[in-house]
Amino acid sequence: MQVVAEGFNAFETQKSPKGEVKFLGSPKDVIEVVRSGKLQDYILLVRGGTTTFLTPALSMGASGVITMSGAPESHLGILSREFQIPCVMTAYLTSSESRYAVGNTDDAHFEEIADTLVGKTVQLHCDDAEVGRVSIVS
Amino acid sequence: MTQTLLDKRLYDVLNAVALKKMASAAAVAEIVDLSLDEVRGIFTELEDGDLVALMGETALPTDASGPVLVDSAAAIYGPLREDPSVLQVADKFEEVNSRFLRTMSSWQQIEVGGRKLANDHTDSAYDAKVITTIERLVSRLEGLLEALAEKDARFRTYVGRFERSLGKVDAGDIAFVSDPTKDSVHNVWFEFHEDLLRTLGRARKE
Repeated sequence: MQVVAEGFNAFETQKSPKGEVKFLGSPKDVIEVVRSGKLQDYILLVRGGTTTFLTPALSMGASGVITMSGAPESHLGILSREFQIPCVMTAYLTSSESRYAVGNTDDAHFEEIADTLVGKTVQLHCDDAEVGRVSIVS
Repeated sequence: MTQTLLDKRLYDVLNAVALKKMASAAAVAEIVDLSLDEVRGIFTELEDGDLVALMGETALPTDASGPVLVDSAAAIYGPLREDPSVLQVADKFEEVNSRFLRTMSSWQQIEVGGRKLANDHTDSAYDAKVITTIERLVSRLEGLLEALAEKDARFRTYVGRFERSLGKVDAGDIAFVSDPTKDSVHNVWFEFHEDLLRTLGRARKE
């Protein structure tokens, strides 16, 4: 298992979804992915734990989520547990020194993560009590 | 639709859609002072203006809706944003909100030996304690909701929604604590938080 990213695990689960990482940056992206009929093929990457526009994707059956900021106690963390959708939060690249800090994170941090993960097929591993992991499948 | 500012009817409907993230006309009609047919008509108007996308009977906010809501709220709620009777109680919300989010997490997960496990709701004493905390936190919104409702009556709908969801919980239907598919306490709280931020022109804290 080649782990490329780690973060807070929103909840412990044996579910280990695989899919192509797709970045959702706006409501338009959410509408497009829901309309595509391929929602469950993707692992959804979003910027924050307060990315509230993601809600329709969660209620329509998203299979997994990675956030680049936010805590398991956030609204998105609460929703992921309600919908039982594995969610790795405040993910960082294991190959990078860059870490998210509230109010002190420049765009390069988020861009580095997105550039590394978007388009790759990954698997989420959320069976640990605290740490959620992202491994590369292809 | 080319205007950047919405009148109050359009604002109320688009705001409701944006708060719910996806909403049927019936769901919106329940929380705005408009008939179902009026809401359907406004959905069509908002779709023509690229402010909502319709998927069957359900409306989702578009990217364009965000800035239009921000500008319209600034115009509609300008005086409210400078009203000390509102701001004094609103300033206390973030602290109550942080406690609410932690309490909601403790409803979903229990700590056993430092490990968080899913709450299977077999410990009725534990659940009752969390529900009491939730009720106390909701009651702490009363002053704020009252101050806002004096300026815009639609904020009274939150009072009724909290009462209904807590009533369901008290009657034993604990799904009304946090189930996102119901008008649960968490859903109502979350919508109120977003509504409050937009009304006051404030940003969400991460």
